[in-house]
This record gives sequence, structure tokens and C-alpha cells, in this order.
Amino acid sequence: MMTMILRRLAALPVILLVIYTITLTLAWAVPGNPLENPEKRPKPEVIEQMKKQYNLDSFPRFYVSYLSSVTGFEYAKDWVSGDLGRDQQAALDAGFPTAPRPIFDLGPSLEYDDWTVNEIVGSALPVSITLGSAAILIALVLGVGAGVIGAVKPNSTSDLFTLTIAMIGISLPSFVIGTALLLVFAVLIPMFPVGGWGGPMKAILPAVTLSLPFAAYIARLTRMGMIEALGADYIRTARAKGASENAVLYKHALKNAFLPVLSFLGPAAAMAMTGSFVIEQVFTIPGMGQHFVNGVQNKDLFLIMGVVLIFATMLILFNLVVDVLYRWVDPRIA
Amino acid sequence: MLIPVAVLVALVALSVFGDRPLPRADLTYINSSEVNTLDPQRMSWMHDLRTARLLFEGLVKNDVLSDGFDIVPGVAESWELSEDARTYTFHLRDDAKWTNGADVTAQDFVFSWRRALLPDLVSDYVTMFLNIDGAQEFYDWRQEQLDGFTDREFASNDAKRVAAYELWEETKALFDSMVGLKAIDDHTLVVTLERPVPYFLELCAFTVFSPVYEPLVAQYERPDPVTARLIRRPGWTKGGVLISNGPFELTGWRFKRDMRMTKSPHYWDRDSIAIRTVSIPSISDPNAGVLAYQTGSIDWIANVTSPYRGDMVAQKLAYLDEHKDRVAELEALGYDQFSITRMLPEDPRALTHAVSSFGTYFYNFNCKQRLPDGRDNPFADPRVRRAFAMCIDKPGIAREIRRLGEPSASTLIPPGSIGGYTSPKGLPNIGDAADEDERQAIITRAKALLEEAGFPEDFVVELAFNKDAGHDLIGQAIAKSWQKSLGVQTSLSQKEIKIFREDLKNKQYMTARAGWFGDYGDPTTFLDISHSKDGNNDRAYNNPVFDDLLFQASNELDPAKRMAILSEAERIIMEEDLPLVPIFHYATIYMFDAHKITGLSTHPRTKQNAFLIDVLGDGIGDDLPRPMNQNQIQAETTP
Repeated sequence: MMTMILRRLAALPVILLVIYTITLTLAWAVPGNPLENPEKRPKPEVIEQMKKQYNLDSFPRFYVSYLSSVTGFEYAKDWVSGDLGRDQQAALDAGFPTAPRPIFDLGPSLEYDDWTVNEIVGSALPVSITLGSAAILIALVLGVGAGVIGAVKPNSTSDLFTLTIAMIGISLPSFVIGTALLLVFAVLIPMFPVGGWGGPMKAILPAVTLSLPFAAYIARLTRMGMIEALGADYIRTARAKGASENAVLYKHALKNAFLPVLSFLGPAAAMAMTGSFVIEQVFTIPGMGQHFVNGVQNKDLFLIMGVVLIFATMLILFNLVVDVLYRWVDPRIA
Repeated sequence: MLIPVAVLVALVALSVFGDRPLPRADLTYINSSEVNTLDPQRMSWMHDLRTARLLFEGLVKNDVLSDGFDIVPGVAESWELSEDARTYTFHLRDDAKWTNGADVTAQDFVFSWRRALLPDLVSDYVTMFLNIDGAQEFYDWRQEQLDGFTDREFASNDAKRVAAYELWEETKALFDSMVGLKAIDDHTLVVTLERPVPYFLELCAFTVFSPVYEPLVAQYERPDPVTARLIRRPGWTKGGVLISNGPFELTGWRFKRDMRMTKSPHYWDRDSIAIRTVSIPSISDPNAGVLAYQTGSIDWIANVTSPYRGDMVAQKLAYLDEHKDRVAELEALGYDQFSITRMLPEDPRALTHAVSSFGTYFYNFNCKQRLPDGRDNPFADPRVRRAFAMCIDKPGIAREIRRLGEPSASTLIPPGSIGGYTSPKGLPNIGDAADEDERQAIITRAKALLEEAGFPEDFVVELAFNKDAGHDLIGQAIAKSWQKSLGVQTSLSQKEIKIFREDLKNKQYMTARAGWFGDYGDPTTFLDISHSKDGNNDRAYNNPVFDDLLFQASNELDPAKRMAILSEAERIIMEEDLPLVPIFHYATIYMFDAHKITGLSTHPRTKQNAFLIDVLGDGIGDDLPRPMNQNQIQAETTP
């Protein structure tokens, strides 16, 4: 187990480097200029200045300099060589009190002058993680519940009903569900606020909207797993030895049926917790999802790279966590 | 399995419950998108400027509620202009304070304007500051030094750092000796201009000329030890950190969430401020904004962009039509549109307001001799451009497609927006024709022009536009107009915005949509973009006569004569050369209850000073209507 974890962790930087290279190449190739502004155009000299300042005039230079600042290599280098301290001291002596430098520097946002990508991620990620966790919890309760109900009596009315709901949940895009929920539960029946973030009331509708597709998928996985498990020999054995029906369902069958759900949860959690552009738009939530889309639209190179790297890291780590849990639940896999 | 779930539940609950919403502010309004920066010297977006006017105050400001958009004192209590119209002496008021209670001094302006003039800080509006004597030389010098610095060899990193700091000291000293900007004492600022600039006070009223607090900002800027250029760290514009000198202080700014401000206890004119707290939530989805308004959490939407806003405007017009006698009566008395709505019965349809903007939607013609593909460009001939310009049904586009009550445009500068300026007449347009005969006459004239110019047969005219915001519909309407009246074939080309703008800049197009908003109250804010050397001349238009008129105007001291010269310059581009065809003048759609919110301006310059807003009936401030043309207040009976 330990060697598996270590091996996977060792592979992490390599995978991230590949993702970094591919994303940067693609983002760089997007036509258009990140420094253009649809309302007013800075003078050409101004654009030249900014390009120079951010190394945007040379791909190799940008590739290397950004990589070293993101990974903390630059910080480490300056720290080892003593430049970091000397620099701070010299600035202080010259009358420039300076704040400590971040170790992992995702760079400035080209679109939002007053924020660094570190700050943007720092403010958006907690929101998305909270919302995503809430959505995954709701999805688990709804999905596993519906799946078990369906599996107990396959092809019954209740099974068809939950299957249909699950189908709708998977098929309907979240901007439809979100807008419908908003119209019904915020405008027609003013139970919830229309949007924004802060406090439990504002989190409920978006969390439910975000959870539905996951819930639907989990329901189908649970149902399939349960049907398979309920026909297995060990269930007959359990029943034969006189275990109660609840014990059979939840202690014996569900434990096995849950395995496919578990493997789905890794990527699902990473998806849910890095935000959804649509849900953030509909419910006005300051999460991560919008930065994937806006970053590309504005060609905000630092922001694109920042959010992609964070997403990739989360995805890899969550998959690792799932694999560890998997082994713990099912010792046969080793 | 249950343990991780329970932990997760606890964490979510903690995070959700720990984040309590703030109480409702006296005024809550939304911009159409997130503020990009609150650094006055770096801003250029309209919503940034509008937000910054709550926080910062320049030497002077525009009285946005006056018909003439008059310049009134801000930090400067009075000023004099020298005989040769080149030197302004500003006397700063004693009671102008920063939000921390410190005095606003003349030195603060020197510091702030120097920031704008540093090539290192890349201010979008640096050109405006180049009017100051010696500013261009200073800018160029610093630029040269920075360029040279990277090529210089240094013995060690330490030596390089020392040199970078030395260069910075040298730069500051040079600025003081070279540039015509002097703080004589704490309360006297002398500005010497390179040449007379009749609209200099208008520039001073522009937010980019507002001061920033040196002891704070200087902490976030220092010369980079490697490149010697001043590097700017963000951070000082955050809530609780920012120190500003305007009516409000920033108490919170959560990215893409909201901004909070409270009335500054140190603002000199604090007694006139009728709101204690302002909240600006970040709602970028246009429909979510309207929904939020309808549920009562928003007082004012400063730019409604939802797709159904055309219907909202149509309903407002129907509402006004129901009360047309009363409207006519009030209009005759000189009331502005917001006051008129306030004096009509309340109605959900009355919440929408279309306000004319200081901007124009137009189509560019590429004026280069050759098209991007190397063919001869027929649009290089002004006669062709004139013919095509006459044959666009502009009122039809404004009425049927935009549906926002916008006036169709025959000039670039919205008529009536600049005091003392007379707009030229512009070309006749098929959409304005009184009857079919007149329309045919215009078409015949246009066709004759095309023939004279030898417009090639079977030539396909390409129209380019960016894909969002209904530009496709306008492009189609123009194409249809040209096909129907001139019998020309057209092709439409839709592009992604960044690519579109890149193509415009590189003149990789034949005809393309564009828009321009004025920054300050002088015709040059619109006319400069057609100067052959201007960075925004996307048309490659080059007429020495036009350039010369702009030059003459810049040397003309008599305001009336100067305006006449500029009017002639606009006549040349709008009646003869047509490097661009104006289609309509923009309107901005507001949503607010005129019975509740007062203090917004209807002036065609569309600049709102939100600190003038009073929420009627909230018991804060004098709760009296604040119409345009303040004299009306006396005449009006209380509602």
C-alpha cells in the first residue's frame, strides 16, 4: 500500500509537467492578445511594455520562468543563493517595505490587475470545495438511496420511477435545472435568495443543482451493483444463516455494490469541487468554474495555467484517495 | 465509511454557516462585470471609473446633474489660468482629507501623476498626461534607460540591484526638474502645459487624474532588481487597506463576490452625502441581475444587458405613451426623464430607463490601397465609402434590431453632448428619407458615386463582426441594405472577440463593426481616432487636411473658433471621407425605481456620480428629489 502511494506521488510531478506543457502550448496558440481590452485599447507601446514585463514575447522564456515560479523553484533558488534575503534587505534599506514573497507563485492576473492568481484561487477554491462537497454528499444520499430502492425490486414501478428521474437528472443540463429551481423556489415561492454566496440558504439551491447529475449516475451504478450483488452466493448464505433483510441489504450487498460508486467518486469529487461555470453563472457564485471559461476568453494566460494546474493536482490526488479507500474496502485488490 | 462522510458533513456545515451575509447597504447597485482595478492611474473600463469616483476625488469634478456638465471644485477649491493659457495654479482646500484623516496635499498629485507617466506602470491613459510640459521627454528618457538597463553588464547581482535603485532615484529627481508639475506648498499645485489645452480641466475631472496616497502605494511599488522597472504588487486596493480621498472608503472587496463601502468621515463635503453604505455585488449573469432586482436585493442596475431588454424598453415606452399628456406637460417644463417617471404613477414597467450614452456604434472601412488578400481595395476611394454609407438603413437598425430607443447617427460625436460644439449635418441616409422618391434619389446618387469611382462588378463586400451581443443581426441588416439598394453581393464573417480586435488592429478586414466611447468633454476624444498617427486608427485613414485641422485646433486659443475648426474636421470625415459610418448612438439601460432613487444624471455624457444618489424616504439625507437642473427643485411640488 505504502509503495503504491509513494509510486503514485512520485509520478505526480511528471504528469503535471506533461499537463503544464500541453496546456501552455494550447493556451499560447489561442489567437488574440491577452492585453487587449474590448472597451479601450492601450497604445501599442503600452502593450509592448506589458509583454516584456510578463515575458509574453517569447514562449520558451515564458515556459521556463513560469514553471520555475509555479513550482517554487525560483523561490528556492533565491533562498539558497541568499538573493531573497539580500533583496528584501536592500528594498527595506531603500525605503520599500515589502511583503513576503509567495513560495508557489501562480503569477498576476492579466485581466484583473488588482489580484494575483494565488489570491483568485485562494478566494474561489474554498467556495467551490464547500459547494462541491455539499453536492457530493447530497448526490450520495439521493443516489445510493434511489439505487437501493430500485435494486430491491428490479423493474417494479418504484424502480422505473427512480430510473426515469435518474435519466432526467443525467440528461437535463444544469442551466435548465438551475434556472427552473430559481424560478420556482426563489421567485415564485420566495424561500431562497436568488443568488450569491454566504450562509446556508444561498448554498442549498446550487448544491442541489450541482448534485443532480452525480446523484443520477450514482443511482444507476448502485442499482447495477446491488442487483448483481443480490444474486451472489454470499447473499444467499447470509439469508440462509438468518440475517435480517436490512443486514443483508446494507451490510452485505451494499458494501460490494458500492465499489463502482467509489471509483466514480474520485473524478466526480474533483469535478464538483473545482466548480461549474454554468452553476456559478446562474446562482452568482464566486467559485472556480468561471475562471476556466473566462480565463480562456480573456486569454488570461496566468489564470488559465493556475486553474488548470490546481484542477489537475486535485484530480490526481482524489483518484489516489479513491484507490486507497478501494483497497481498504476490498482487500482483494492489492 | 461513515467517518469520512461525517467529517465532510461537519466541514461543509462549518464553512457554510461560518460565512454570514452582511446586512443590506443603503444603496446596492451592480455593474455589468467585476471591477478590473481600483488603481486610478491604471484604469480604463467604464465600470472601474464609475466605482473609483465613489472612492477618489480629483482636483475638479463634473457636476453631472447640471445641463452643461459644469466643472466644479473638488480637492481644488479654486484655480487660475495664466495669460498664455499654459499654466494652471490650483489651490487645494484645507479640509480635503484621506480616509485615514491625513491632509490631501499638492505633493500627492505630483506623486500620482508621476506614476501615470512612468512607462513601467503602463497606464492606458498616459497620452492625457503627455500634455504636461516635459512629460513626453521624461517618458522617453525613462523608457530609454529601462531598455538600456537590460543590456548593461554588471559585476554581480548586488551591483545590478544598486544600479536599479540608483536609476529610480535619478528618475524621481529628473521628473522634478523636467516636468511642469510642481507642488509649491502643501496646498498649491502648479501645472505647466506643453501647449494650451482648452479641455485640461475636463481631463483633471477624469478619474485617472485622481490622487493616490503615497505612503500606502509606495509600499507596493519598487524597482525590480533585475530589470530596474518599477514593479507593482497588487494589494493596496483591497478592502480595509485602501486609503482614498473621496466620499467613501472601501471596507471590503471580495473577488467576484462583492465590494462594500462606507461614507468617509473625513470627506470635506460629507454633509451632502445621503447614503452611509454602498454595496456592489458582483453579478455577471445579465438575467441573474434582473432577477435579483425583482426580488428586491438591488436598487440600481447600472447596465442591463439581458437579452430581453429590448422588450423592457418597449414596455417602458408603452407606459410613457399611456401618460403622454402628462409627459408632454412635464417635458415642456424642462424636466429630465427620471424626474418625469418619478412624477408618473408607479408601475413595474417604469423601472426601465434608456439613457443616451457618450458613445457611437459604427462600421469601419479599411482605407488601405490593397485588401489583405492583395487585391485593389475599392474602399480606398472616398466616393465608394460615401455611397455605402448613405445606403444603410440606420433608423431601421436602431428601431427594429437594437430596440433600445437609440437615435440613429449621422455623426460620430453624439449631438448635444459637448457644450459649445455644433455637429455637422452628415450625409443623407436612405432610412431618413421622408418618402420613396427621396429614398430613390439617395440611391441614385449613391449608384452614380460608385460608377464614378469604377466600383468593380461582382465584387463581394465582406462585413466582419464579433460574434456576441447581436452584432450578427446588425451585420445582416447592413448587408441586406447594401444588396437591396446598391445590388452589391456581401459576405458576413463572424469572429471571436480577441481575434476580431487583432484583425482590426492589423487591418485584416474590409468593413468591420466598431464602437467608441468618449472619455472627456471635448470633440477630440472622438476625432483623435481618425488622426493618421493615432493608435486607434484601425481604418488606416490618412487625410493630411483632417490632421492639419486637428493641429490647428490644438493651437487655437479662442474656444469658439477652436470648436468651429473641430466641427469642420468632423464634417470632413462625416460628409466627405467616411472612414467610418456611424450607425447609432448607444444608449445604456438602467433599472431602478425613480420614485425611490434620485441623483442619477440623464446628461448624454452618461457619467454617474453614485455618491449623489439619495434613497428617497429612507430617512438619511434630506430625502428630496435631485433632478437635473437643480433650479427645478423649488418649482416642483413634493410628490
